[in-house]
Amino acid sequence: MTETTERAYPPGTEYPFGPRPVHEAAEQYHRIAADRPMTKMTMPFGGDVWVIHRNQAARDMLGDTRFVREPFRTGERVVPYFVEFPDFLKTTIQFEDPPHHTKLRRLVQRSISPKRVRAMRESAVEFANHLIDEMVSKGSPANLVEEYALGLPIQMLSNLLGVPPEDRPKFERWAASTLATANMPEERIANDMLELIGYMSGLIEERRREPREDLLSDLANARDKDESLTDDEIMPIALILIIAGFDNTANFISTGVAALLHHDAQRELLLTDVDGLMPTAVEEILRHGGWALGTPVGGGGGLVPFVATEDVVIDGQLIAAGEAVLIDPTAVAHDGIVLPDDAEFDITRQNNPQLTLSYGLHHCLGAPLARMEMQVGIGELFKRLPQLRLAGEIRWNRDHLSQPMVELPVAW
Amino acid sequence: MPKVFYTQPDGAERVVDGKVGDSVMRTAVQNGVAGIVGQCGGVLSCATCHVFLAEGELDAYPPVSEDEDEMLDCAATDREPNSRLSCQLVLREGTDVHVTIPPEQL
Ligand code: FES
Repeated sequence: MTETTERAYPPGTEYPFGPRPVHEAAEQYHRIAADRPMTKMTMPFGGDVWVIHRNQAARDMLGDTRFVREPFRTGERVVPYFVEFPDFLKTTIQFEDPPHHTKLRRLVQRSISPKRVRAMRESAVEFANHLIDEMVSKGSPANLVEEYALGLPIQMLSNLLGVPPEDRPKFERWAASTLATANMPEERIANDMLELIGYMSGLIEERRREPREDLLSDLANARDKDESLTDDEIMPIALILIIAGFDNTANFISTGVAALLHHDAQRELLLTDVDGLMPTAVEEILRHGGWALGTPVGGGGGLVPFVATEDVVIDGQLIAAGEAVLIDPTAVAHDGIVLPDDAEFDITRQNNPQLTLSYGLHHCLGAPLARMEMQVGIGELFKRLPQLRLAGEIRWNRDHLSQPMVELPVAW
Repeated sequence: MPKVFYTQPDGAERVVDGKVGDSVMRTAVQNGVAGIVGQCGGVLSCATCHVFLAEGELDAYPPVSEDEDEMLDCAATDREPNSRLSCQLVLREGTDVHVTIPPEQL
């Protein structure tokens, strides 16, 4: 028997809840957050976890160093989640705690810092336009995911890491199979993983011999305040960058374009000043883009959990030592407290405290890059093809850890 | 109650009552002051809380640490001699703070 069924919550505040129209989902989220800061939920894998619904409580938890991830990494606790976490993901930086986390993060953050990303912007604009040219030359309609949304982040990441451009198609395949959660033969996943690791080891070796101006060279030759990195430490960083680095961003770009195609007034507004409005539009897409597609939404999502190292009270709720806790980024963006009209898609919001890219120690290291790629990717597309429109059904791959959009048919 | 004066790049000013012990970053985020993101929550790993501190107030705070110095180099808007990361500026009783927000944070 689970906590969610044992404890009776007031009617209309059940959590998780099934798909319903967006305004109804938002109202349910408001009622839940008004009733309590978090709910204990039994996950399909790994047992119970506290799921936080209130934005401020989420920030308090994410900013509290008494919550760690080590028990997941060591296997002492199974990660409570919707799907089983692939083992290799548990060796990556997001499952590390200080001080080792600090050491790894330091080495990477300079390379994808706001300043470095700003310097990459021009080449992103150029490459986005190159992709648009190619798509246009093939003719309308097109699958925007294939023809555009994947290409831009893969190229940016390859530039950053120092992966030869001709090897890019391989990454798409490797990432697809390492993030597969169903309908992919085990053997194929294992083979692809091995191939990816082999490929990266070769590249790291090469950069160690002949360093260039790229992140892989920096990592391979890192001497961070008399600490250096072993190959075993470099590999997971490179893997998480590759996988998180383009899979998520491609998905954000597709979702953003689709959301704008669903909202004529917002799209028309954007077209009046694309460059001026893209920064706030991107925050709104990160917060609410998935809801703006008009499909019913259910409640019950979350970022990677933490474990309490001691009893901690957050927003009046005790999280006991050893219990797991995560935030539902959708809930905290719709708690009815931090934002007025949180069910509306409004690309002009100035204050948008969304937590999709997390917050605190484990905030997304690639956030500046993801934001820039979204601003450029979505902005250039609408500047070049202001008449862009939907030309068919959107499709997702639900057998994949990040459940990406795989088909976004567009015409112009 | 210390006050924080936030000046936007376009000159618009917003005054917020702060709590002693909170940082200038946290005060901004909690009050929805645009232009201070503070994504790492103050652990010196995002550089999205960059501000220019009023010249006359530079001495009122502990100097820039080695970690802060490194992160200031990573900020989207080039640093100036009066650049600080606002998560490192902690409010004190009886001391108001004046900061200007840079044009780009991300
Ligand atoms: S909040 Fe991240 S460096 Fe200040």
